[in-house]
Parts: sequence; C-alpha cells; structure tokens
Amino acid sequence: MLLEWIEVHNFRNLSGRVSWGNGLNIIYGDNGQGKTNWLEAIYTLATTKSFRTQKLQEAVRFGEDLGVIRGRVARSEEVHRDLQVTLQGNTKTISINGKREAVARYLRQLNTVAFTADELEVVRGGPDARRKFLDRGVVSLHHAYVQTLADYNRVIKQKNRLLQDAADSEMSLDEVERIISPWNEQLIGLSAEIHRGRTDYVERLKDVLERRLFEREDITIRYVSSLEGKGDLGDYEALVAERLKLRLQAELSAGYSLIGPHRDDLEILFDGRDIRAFGSSGQQRSALIILDLAAISVYYSWHNEYPLFLIDDVDAELDRKRIRYLLEYLEGRTQTFITTSKESLVEEFMGRSNVFRVSDGMSEEIGPEMDLIQSAAKGAESI
Amino acid sequence: MLEYAEPVTKLIDEFKRLPGVGNKSAQRLAFHVLRMPEADVERFIEALQEVKRRIIFCSVCNNLTDVDPCRFCSSTNRDRSMICIVEEPYNLVAIEKTRSYRGLYHVLHGSLSPIRGIGPDDLHLTNLLTRFRPENNDGVEVREVILATNPNTEGEATANYISRLIKPLGIRVTRIAMGMPVGSDLEYVDEVTMDKALANRHEI
Ligand SMILES: [Zn+2]
Repeated sequence: MLLEWIEVHNFRNLSGRVSWGNGLNIIYGDNGQGKTNWLEAIYTLATTKSFRTQKLQEAVRFGEDLGVIRGRVARSEEVHRDLQVTLQGNTKTISINGKREAVARYLRQLNTVAFTADELEVVRGGPDARRKFLDRGVVSLHHAYVQTLADYNRVIKQKNRLLQDAADSEMSLDEVERIISPWNEQLIGLSAEIHRGRTDYVERLKDVLERRLFEREDITIRYVSSLEGKGDLGDYEALVAERLKLRLQAELSAGYSLIGPHRDDLEILFDGRDIRAFGSSGQQRSALIILDLAAISVYYSWHNEYPLFLIDDVDAELDRKRIRYLLEYLEGRTQTFITTSKESLVEEFMGRSNVFRVSDGMSEEIGPEMDLIQSAAKGAESI
Repeated sequence: MLEYAEPVTKLIDEFKRLPGVGNKSAQRLAFHVLRMPEADVERFIEALQEVKRRIIFCSVCNNLTDVDPCRFCSSTNRDRSMICIVEEPYNLVAIEKTRSYRGLYHVLHGSLSPIRGIGPDDLHLTNLLTRFRPENNDGVEVREVILATNPNTEGEATANYISRLIKPLGIRVTRIAMGMPVGSDLEYVDEVTMDKALANRHEI
C-alpha cells in the first residue's frame, strides 16, 4: 500500500498537503518545528490513534474546534481511497471516500508498523509490551482476533471481580467454583484462541527473522507460555482446564486470575542473553528493528503488500551504521517515513529518497541540490 | 441560586435520571412539557402511573404483563414442552416477531455480570426450576430449554450457568446459533460475525 498524499488542517501546528514518494521519505527539520507531528498525522490517519497521547483531541491546534487529517491511499494501480479522520470537540469521525465508516473496516485500509520511543518497551519493558506487540501482529493478519482479545479481557475483568467478592464473603470453595465456572469455561476457549494466534505468529516471525541484519548480532525469539512445564501444551484446552481447577484456591487467595495467556511472554535473546536484562541500549534498538522488519515480512507474505514503516527520530534511536543497513534493507520494500534533524543523513540519502524540510509546521520538498523544487504547502487547500 | 425556578429544575433533574438523557435533552424535554396543554400532561402522568400500577411480572415466566399468568403462559395453543430463556422482555418480543417459535418463555431480567454486581441470585431463576414439574406446567413435561441470551461474554456466562443447572435434570439444553445475518451480502458482514459463522459451519 502507498500513501500518496496527506492533507492536514489544525492538527498540532500542521497545515497543508504533502505528496509523499513511494520509497524512503525523510522528514527533516530542527527540533520543535513539527517533524514528528507529520509522522503522528500519518499514524493517526492509519490507526485513528496517536502514538504520543491517549487524548487525541489534545492534538487539535490550540484554540481550534475542528482538526482534520485526510489522505489518499493507493491499494493498487487503480484503486485509490481517500481516508479522513475528523476531530471535533470530543468526537472523532472516520470516513472512506467521504462516507462514514466503522472502525473495523477503516483500519484495514492503511497499515503501519511504527518504531517509536514508546515501542522500545517491547525490548526493555515488561511482558505486557511484548504481548501487545504480538497481538498487534496477530490482528494485522486476522482482524476477528480483536474481538477475541476484547472478550478475553472482559472475562478476566469479570472473573477478577468475582474472586475479590468471593474472598470478602464466607463462600465455600464449591460455591465459588459454581459461580466461577461459567467464566472459566469461556476462558478456556478464548485462552486457546490467543495461545494459538500468538504461537502461530511467533513461528511466522521466526521464519523471516533477519538474524544478522546488523552484522554479528544474533537474535532468537520464543513464545513463553505461563503454562510451560505444567503439562502438555499440545492439548492446550485440557491443560488450561486442569490448571484452572487446580489453582482455584490460589486464585482466590490472590484475588485475581493466575491462569491464562495474560501471563505469557515473548522471550527475546540477543547473542543468547535476555535482551531486556543484558542488552545494551543499542542492541535493544537493533532487536526491535529486527522484530519490526519481521512483522513487515510476515504482513507481506500474508497480504502480498507492505505496510508503511514509520521511524520517529531515527538518529536518537539508531547509530548511523544501523540506519544505513536498515534503510538499504527497506529499499524496494516498504514506503518508509523517518524523521531526522541531521543534515548529514539527508545528504547521504538525497539521491535515493524524497526529502521534506519542515519549518513551523509547513513542509516543503527539497531536491538533490537542496534547493526548492516545489512548495508542498502551496498546494494545500483549507477544508 | 438555581438557574431555573425550582419546579423546572426538579423536572429537569427527573428527566436526567432516565437512561440516555443528558443535561441538554433534559432541558429540552422540560421546556417541551411547559408548552404542553394541560390535558396532554394529565394523559402523560396517567400513562406513567398506569404502567406502574397495572404492569407486573408474570409469576410463571417473569414477562411484563397486565394479567397473571401472562398471555403466553395461559395460552392453550403454545407448545409447553419448550422454554426459551431470554435476558430482557424486548428479547422475547424479537423472537416472537419471527412467529415460528411456538413454545413458552422465561425472562431473566438481566445477565451475570460481577462488575455490575449481578450474580445468579439477581436473575429471575428461582421460578424456572419449579416450571419443570409437569404438575406446574399443565401436566406437560418440558423437553427442551433454548438459551437465547445475548452473544456476548455476559450472555455466554449466563447460558453456561443455566445449562449447568438444567442438564442434570435430563432436559435437552440448546443455545441459539451465532452467525450470518440472513438476506445480507457476504461482503457486508463484519469479520467477527463471519469468523463465528465459519467456525459454526455445518454439513449440507
Ligand atoms: Zn408468563
């Protein structure tokens, strides 16, 4: 898929339209000029969410009521779709070709993999970030998995409340089992769906992992079920059912659910050692890039098209050698968007990329001699 | 000081108690009432009072009714060997519209939801088990119970809980199917529904 152009109105400090190139797009400018805002606009157009804030309405320019991001996506040579995210007051509306659309359908139009400071939690944070990474991947292949996750979380929430209530009351263990069984019954099926989705996805990642993308670094991954060593994972449903029965008293004492894939993790080893505990900051970033690239490959082999790849503040996150490897790897694959404040990077990739200089929220495309070819902002219309 | 005179404020507050009515709507409704002719207001009050005075839960199936037992439970041409369990009276209406189900109903008035403080004792279940005795069912034995609770986690838990109660009694327990809405194009069905429909496919 290809994002042909994006047009922004009152989103952060941005305004105007930018036509993107189909390979590498370098968004270049001094800090505070709005580089990341453009990346955020692309991300928001794709996901209807921001990678910087939970409250999207905060992204509307201060003092304005209406913020709009619009963009055209080419799904093939002949199929183009106009996507729009409109933020007004506390409401967000999304549309395809000018017609309001349900989120589920909208989200399939423009897929992104984003390497951001937040995403680094995958390699240096808790298991939650890694589970989310896997779940995003599974969703990118099977959209119905969104519902599985929602149902699972809902059942866990209901069950946790039951466990707390039961602990506060004088219920016998039999009584607790009687009222908790209808929830455990659902947990078994939903856990199995999640387990299968994630393990299958990890196998796909493994198959395409560019283990030595950054020279002598070797990365291996493995899905670690919290039920490992407790029985036959091959018959997952039976194992979960057995553990739920066996651990009811323990769950009751804890006051929350102890059994299920919400306790699982993705093990990431770098040169044989746990990346989170032993990896240097540079190795952690390499590992995440390798995982993101694997996610892109898996997506490609499933859908036969590439998602967009976004990297915010590429110099802060990766050294020049890694950037070079990465950008060369991506050539001919994804439509890539990176932000940088380093002129030397721009100069190095000038001939092989589209460079956009951002100042004061406006973006203009600059050519090989760094002179102005076209002012992208001029083509902007107010909407 | 209050924004409006006391009686107006009181009325706005009452409207705000209703589900789905926010501040703005409550004000609009209150001012509408102020403009209504006296007779209309009287009729409205009467309707409110009457619904409280005359509508009761059927002692057999818990459906809303003005006669006890309700018209379903006292009917002589319904199949008394089948009971369809629904969460709310409007679910019953939806099934009844099909005109193809001729059995009886049982209304739970809710579904299990610990986070909303709703447990088995809060559902109208106690009078369900007594219905299985033929002497309480015009001498007819109940052969099948259809669980038509909502297709969400709370509805599933409720269906599961009830099936555990009933199955030991040797009564057939069925759950309504989930899948494709009829008369729609495959294209327009959301993925989750399609996924369920595929999983629940059957041989033809
Ligand atoms: Zn009745």
